[in-house]
Amino acid sequence: MTQVSTLSPAVASLVAASATDVVKLFGSGDTAVRALDRVSIDLLRGEFTAIMGPSGSGKSTLMHCLAGLDTVTSGSVAIGDVELCGLSDKKMTALRRDRIGFVFQSFNLVPTLTALENITLPIAIAGRKPAQPWLDNIIATLGLTDRLHHRPSELSGGQQQRVAVGRALAGRPEIIFGDEPTGNLDSRSSGEVMGILRRSVDDLGQTVVMVTHDARAASFADRVLFLADGHIVDELRAPTAETVLDRMKGLER
Amino acid sequence: MSAMGMVSVRNLKAHRVRLLLTVVSVMLGTAFVAGSFVFTDTLKSSFDKIFTTVDAGVDARVQPKHSYDPGVPQDLVTKIQAVPGVRTVEVHAGAPIVLVDSRGKKVQPGGAPSEGGMWTPAAQSVGTLPTFAAGRAPTRAGEVAINSGAATKGHLTAGDRAKVVLPNAGVVDVTVVGVYKTKVETGGYIGVLFSRPQALELFTDGKHVGSLDIAAAAGVSEKTLAANIAHTLPSTLEVRTGTQARTDDQGGIQTALSFINYILLGFGFIALIVGTFIIYNTFSMIVAQRLRELALLRAIGAGRKQVRRSVLVEAGVIGVIGSALGLAGGIGLAFGLHSLLDALNLGLPSGGLVMTPRTVIVALVLGTGVTLLSANAPARRAAQVPPVAAMREEFASTSAASLRRRTVLGTVVAALGAVVTVAGVTSSSAGTGASLLGLGLVGVAAGAMMLSPVLAGWIITPLGTVIGRPFGAVGRLARTNAVRNPRRTAATAFALTLGLLLVSGIAVVGASMKASISGIVDSTVRADYILGTQSSVDIPPRAAIAASKVPGVGSTTELHNVATLVDGKHGVGTGVDGPLNAIVKVDMKHGGGTTTGHSMLVSSDTAKKNHWTIGSQHTLSVPGRTPAVETITGIYADNQLLGPWLVSGDVYRTLTPPNEQADIVILIRAAPGADLHALRTGLEQATNNFYVVTVQNRDEFKGQVAGQINGLLGLLYGLLGLAIVIAILGIINTLALSVVERRREIGMLRAVGMQRKQVRRTIYVESLLIAVFGAVLGLGLGIAYGSMFTRTLRNQGLDTLSVPWTQAVTFLVVAGIVGVLAALWPGIRAARTRPLEAIAAS
Ligand SMILES: Nc1ncnc2c1ncn2[C@@H]1O[C@H](COP(=O)(O)OP(=O)(O)OP(=O)(O)O)[C@@H](O)[C@H]1O
Ligand SMILES: [Mg+2]
Repeated sequence: MTQVSTLSPAVASLVAASATDVVKLFGSGDTAVRALDRVSIDLLRGEFTAIMGPSGSGKSTLMHCLAGLDTVTSGSVAIGDVELCGLSDKKMTALRRDRIGFVFQSFNLVPTLTALENITLPIAIAGRKPAQPWLDNIIATLGLTDRLHHRPSELSGGQQQRVAVGRALAGRPEIIFGDEPTGNLDSRSSGEVMGILRRSVDDLGQTVVMVTHDARAASFADRVLFLADGHIVDELRAPTAETVLDRMKGLER
Repeated sequence: MSAMGMVSVRNLKAHRVRLLLTVVSVMLGTAFVAGSFVFTDTLKSSFDKIFTTVDAGVDARVQPKHSYDPGVPQDLVTKIQAVPGVRTVEVHAGAPIVLVDSRGKKVQPGGAPSEGGMWTPAAQSVGTLPTFAAGRAPTRAGEVAINSGAATKGHLTAGDRAKVVLPNAGVVDVTVVGVYKTKVETGGYIGVLFSRPQALELFTDGKHVGSLDIAAAAGVSEKTLAANIAHTLPSTLEVRTGTQARTDDQGGIQTALSFINYILLGFGFIALIVGTFIIYNTFSMIVAQRLRELALLRAIGAGRKQVRRSVLVEAGVIGVIGSALGLAGGIGLAFGLHSLLDALNLGLPSGGLVMTPRTVIVALVLGTGVTLLSANAPARRAAQVPPVAAMREEFASTSAASLRRRTVLGTVVAALGAVVTVAGVTSSSAGTGASLLGLGLVGVAAGAMMLSPVLAGWIITPLGTVIGRPFGAVGRLARTNAVRNPRRTAATAFALTLGLLLVSGIAVVGASMKASISGIVDSTVRADYILGTQSSVDIPPRAAIAASKVPGVGSTTELHNVATLVDGKHGVGTGVDGPLNAIVKVDMKHGGGTTTGHSMLVSSDTAKKNHWTIGSQHTLSVPGRTPAVETITGIYADNQLLGPWLVSGDVYRTLTPPNEQADIVILIRAAPGADLHALRTGLEQATNNFYVVTVQNRDEFKGQVAGQINGLLGLLYGLLGLAIVIAILGIINTLALSVVERRREIGMLRAVGMQRKQVRRTIYVESLLIAVFGAVLGLGLGIAYGSMFTRTLRNQGLDTLSVPWTQAVTFLVVAGIVGVLAALWPGIRAARTRPLEAIAAS
């Protein structure tokens, strides 16, 4: 059901983001690198998807293309019902601001703003006011209530990533992308951040897509996609750390 | 090349664009210094050439010792002619004149001299005679030869009728019989040569001539000649050898030129100081961006000294390139200035640009030295990077280095400056007061510079909250960015602070000057019309007679300059013909009386200084004239218009040779009920034939004075504009470097949805805040010190303090606009940052 290329309208409204026959080339001529080779995926609403694969397999590239941070060479990408191909920079930026949340591996926060100001940044950029109950709810979930007026340099790495997750959640985006959001964290902080993302899916119905190298982190997801050499090569539902590790070993061989 | 040397060179290449602006700022400063040297050297060499030509053939010169001495007695000429070793004696007699062409228009000399003189036939001439482009030499009264420059300007040729205006003789009708070529022509120079008898009649008192140039007979040395002549001279005269005479002439010009040189150099140094901040900032930022690399170098074994030297080598290269370009720019600047002044017809001699080795050395040493000095602190900081820093993950871009020491030192220096300032303000002597104020200003400015990182936080945060409010999140980001690195913001803004400090200080003094003069005119001048002159010739006394006959004139008062010895001491006062009280309000402190007969009025300041009292008698004398004994009858409150003392016009005429007698100004009081408009027309018609007289009412007179002040202010603003330009370059530089430094952060903002427009706006508002901060600080200090300076000079005629608030607000607004303009390019660059750059590893 998930790999059907022509979806009925009813099903389409269940899709938060989709890629169809996406090819991404870097460079040109003989030295061209085919980072993505005819990748097609649908990411369903309210689902937590992890993307795994060996280094250089194209995970980050796929994520950038899906999130409107990079353009595709051919194929199409859509967020909800909006086709990204051909959007102006202005529209694309507004789309990222209003409908997408981001958590990067590092350098997520503006160093001169407080934690709270960072959380509400995209809303403020859009010139809107945050919905207070929603914000309180997120802050409580993040466990940052007493850290809100600190600068990023006064927060631990785990706290910084939680602030970044808070920022991603604050605007109620249709989908949140994370590229190794726990890559720099120890296993405890990593577990906390993954827990928050998991809860956002379960309690708030949030859609989350995340690239990770960590099998334990991936085990928080509903579904794991495996990428190798720019192809989707495998998929796992209801993963555990052990099943994920098994599949990874298979890929790296 | 050493390994560290290679690192330096590689870095220079890698930071090419960033260093470009630094090179430009070094260049601008040195260009001004080099330019001022080239300009004045060029002028000096041109003038030297003129004097070498003009004084060619002079082996000795006989001249009066003092300016108030009557000149060389004519009967001395034959006596000197008889002195052994004398070949020939050339007589000089001349005075400033105004040449009027055949259509009745004045021929304007611009800034060059316009003088009348005597044609010397070949037999008496010590040098070679000028050649004639047309016509011949003047031989009798009414004939003149003029130089070809004047002929071209006045459209005059041999045979044309013209007029010459002189103070004593009034208007003389002449026929141009010849046009001669001067060997060196300064732009605008006007020379009108009369035949000997007429020149003696017009330019001398009939007994004395100006000076004598003497040529030696073959085989007689200058020294022998001068020694021989010296025996025949009375004590009022002196003899100079030809060499000395040339040096005297050149020395006079040298003094005038060194004044120009000092002013230009002053601005060059201001530019360099402002440039210092930019250089400092650039190197600080480059070092900050290279912390990890520097730490790595340290980790693999580079010593502190090596790291420090590698930064200084970079600075040295920048300095040498910048100052070499500055040298070239200076030549261009001098050329431009020369052409500009030529175009303005200011009477500069023409000649090729002169570049001395001194100019080259000073420019290179200064430019490179300043660069090295400015980069020294960043280089030291670079050397202090611990090797472990290479291993750290993130670097806090906000330097957490404590500002405490700097703040404490700044407070101390500023406090010392303030103490000296207070001493200056309370000082009773204007001279000491002004010097103390200057010293205090240096202290306070230096203190403010050290305190400005702290001040930046205090001023920008509330300012940014107000200015940034309409911009929402963008405004908040801009505000926090502006204060995230206080040292950098301070150095960037302080360049602007310095420029605006000087500009606004000068603006206050200028406005106060205008207000004071306007105040004096309003409160003390009662005359309805002021007849003055704007040419080099004073007003012929006959103009006053003509003016007094105009219907509607109530009274006419003439003022004269009296240069004389008072009790043997040289002094200049005023001679008065006509009623004084009718035209000026004289505030008598003691006694009273009028300026008639032998009564003398003195200002209270003069009386106090010389211990003169009512009834005391003083002898006014000029060598060769009958002395006058004056009795003080009144002491008046100091008044700029009246000068130190007043005597009657009769005393003036007793002391001044007839050929020099003239009016500096004629003041007219209208008769009661007279039609002022008709009076004016009448006065203009009556004085029209004297060509040099301008008729002004009080407002026009004030306007003319204000115009002169404005001209001076304009020149100063123009020169200070350079400091502002460099400050703008500094803002561009800092912002451009900040944008590079914050690439990842900007990329992240773009990724989470900040529009390009918003990124640009953030940079604009940040720049606006920095610029306004610098401007506020500069304007505050400038207005404060301008006001205090004015107060100190309140007894020197600056009795009204006027702060040009509208102008200050304009400066502030312009600073803001300039700030935004400076941010255009960095802003556009920042907006081009792609969101992915946030994720890509640095
Ligand atoms: N900007 C780029 N220019 C050229 N090649 C690129 C660029 N970005 C990625 N690549 C190439 O595309 C391929 C996929 O890269 P990508 O960053 O997507 O891998 P990844 O799966 O995220 O790896 P990692 O787990 O190491 O992060 C790699 O071969 C990489 O070298
Ligand atoms: Mg990756």
